[in-house]
Amino acid sequence: MSTKLPDPSTHVPADEEPIATCPHCERPFRSVHARDLHVGELHEADATETEDERYERALETERDDLWFFHAKAVVGLGVTYATTVILYMVVLSGFL
Amino acid sequence: MSESADGDRSRGVGQRVARAAVRAGLRLGPWPLSVALVGTASAHAGSLGGATASATVPTWLTVLTGGIVVGATFLFTTLLTDHDAMRGVNWWRIAVPTPTSVRRGLVRLTQVVSVALLALVVVAGLAGPTTPTQNFALLFVWAGWWAGYTMTTYLVGNSWPALDPWRATAGGLRWGLATLLDVGAPRERDERSADGGVATGRRFALGSASLPRRWGVWPAVVGLLALVFLEVVSPIGTNSRALALVVLAYSVVTVAGALVYGRAWFDRVDPVSRVFATYGRVAPVQRDADGFSVRLPGTAATEEILPDRPGETAFVVALLWVTTYDGLVSTPLWARLLTPIAEAGVPAVLVYVAVLLAGFGIFLGVYRLASREIRERADTYVTVDEIERWFAPALVPIAAGYHVAHFLGYFLTLAPALGAVAIAPFAPPNTVALVLPEWFGSVKLACVLLGHVLAVWVAHSLAFELFPGVLAAIRSQVPSVVVMVFYTMVSLWVITQPYVAPPFV
Repeated sequence: MSTKLPDPSTHVPADEEPIATCPHCERPFRSVHARDLHVGELHEADATETEDERYERALETERDDLWFFHAKAVVGLGVTYATTVILYMVVLSGFL
Repeated sequence: MSESADGDRSRGVGQRVARAAVRAGLRLGPWPLSVALVGTASAHAGSLGGATASATVPTWLTVLTGGIVVGATFLFTTLLTDHDAMRGVNWWRIAVPTPTSVRRGLVRLTQVVSVALLALVVVAGLAGPTTPTQNFALLFVWAGWWAGYTMTTYLVGNSWPALDPWRATAGGLRWGLATLLDVGAPRERDERSADGGVATGRRFALGSASLPRRWGVWPAVVGLLALVFLEVVSPIGTNSRALALVVLAYSVVTVAGALVYGRAWFDRVDPVSRVFATYGRVAPVQRDADGFSVRLPGTAATEEILPDRPGETAFVVALLWVTTYDGLVSTPLWARLLTPIAEAGVPAVLVYVAVLLAGFGIFLGVYRLASREIRERADTYVTVDEIERWFAPALVPIAAGYHVAHFLGYFLTLAPALGAVAIAPFAPPNTVALVLPEWFGSVKLACVLLGHVLAVWVAHSLAFELFPGVLAAIRSQVPSVVVMVFYTMVSLWVITQPYVAPPFV
């Protein structure tokens, strides 16, 4: 995976230490989870074995959280669709 | 309860045509012919879909539906999380390599044509017939160029650097001066700095002065606001003489600036070039290193980040704001609000300026607020400025969708007139206008919605490029979607309003 886009500029508040840093490009992260994902995504070629393992574990965690999020999104879409259809039915039939 | 304005049922087709063409203040004379596209001419002002059904959709429901569509689009895009697949779609292209000689030849040809057209506009403006719908300058500049040509920059590609008559004139003058006076025009072996200035050994070289770096792109922002303000409050929409003079003045300033500052002028100061360059970011045809490439509309914006210069984000926000402002001052609500203020003695022009600047400030503020929220939700160290710049390209499809909605109808209505007058600019025939069918209102709404849907996709893709993982990227987009939903509803409302010429100017 090549980085076609430039690295974004980051700012760590003066009195803070970055919670996690990417060993390859020095980018700071506010969570170890984010750093692990970053290393796996952008530095796949140079990643060590531990980094690969951490990436896999981070992906697993994400996958579980993502499933719940997607379930909510699908329900949200269904409810939105139904509400919109009923709203139109009500308005166009003259009740509102 | 149907919301169609019953009082408007008595308005005939002619009135609707007049209203549509009064878009830039052009007043129409008597129409000997009307090319009607549709038989039914029931005039529901501001309503849509009322041609065949017995019920019309009230405006509030239309507006609400727009917001729902944008929100639902966001929910739908959160289901698309395969980063590789997204990149496959976004970065897909067909490369069309073009030999440099072919490109140069074409550019020379278009440069000659464009300079000739500019000259014709000035001459026709000064000496042509004064009836707005018969004057080549007015029709060409407003209907042909500002409406029609701008649409090609985001629907096809940004061809402005080749078609820019001022760029061509400045280039020609520079070459002429160099040949005649040996004033140090840039040559192959001279050093070119990043903004097109030239460092030669001579004391003076044309195009070598440089603008202060910390001004960034702000001169263009100011220029854009000034240009739109001028278009709204001055008579250059109806008065061909005024238009010709303004075009002349603009030409002098631009060519002089380009001669002194070089190519940086068109990049950082000239609002027109920047507008087209910005719109070009979402076009299918993009300029590549060795020719052109054709890609899916909107996807080019997912790949190129704005340069890190002051004012880059502000320009994109300004572009969005001025299209909104243009529509806002043509609504009946604006006229209703402005009338008591103007009658109380406040100069109306001041109100226009104040609203222009205040609105721009509000848009900037809201965008910054949204960017701060994005930073919070993504739980990241990336700076707010960076986030603002990173996601600014997502605003361009919105501006483009809004631009189509506003100007497509205007362009189509006046296109026959433009064609007829272009053939004989100084002895134009009586011109006709195209009567747009009832369902055209729905087309306008669809364009605004399409722009927002594209914007949601672009923002989604950009978030994936900025934040690692999937959940952080998705969660970070909630503030921007909230803003987009509100903005969709506002712009849809503006679109559904009947046109009222800006009062007191």
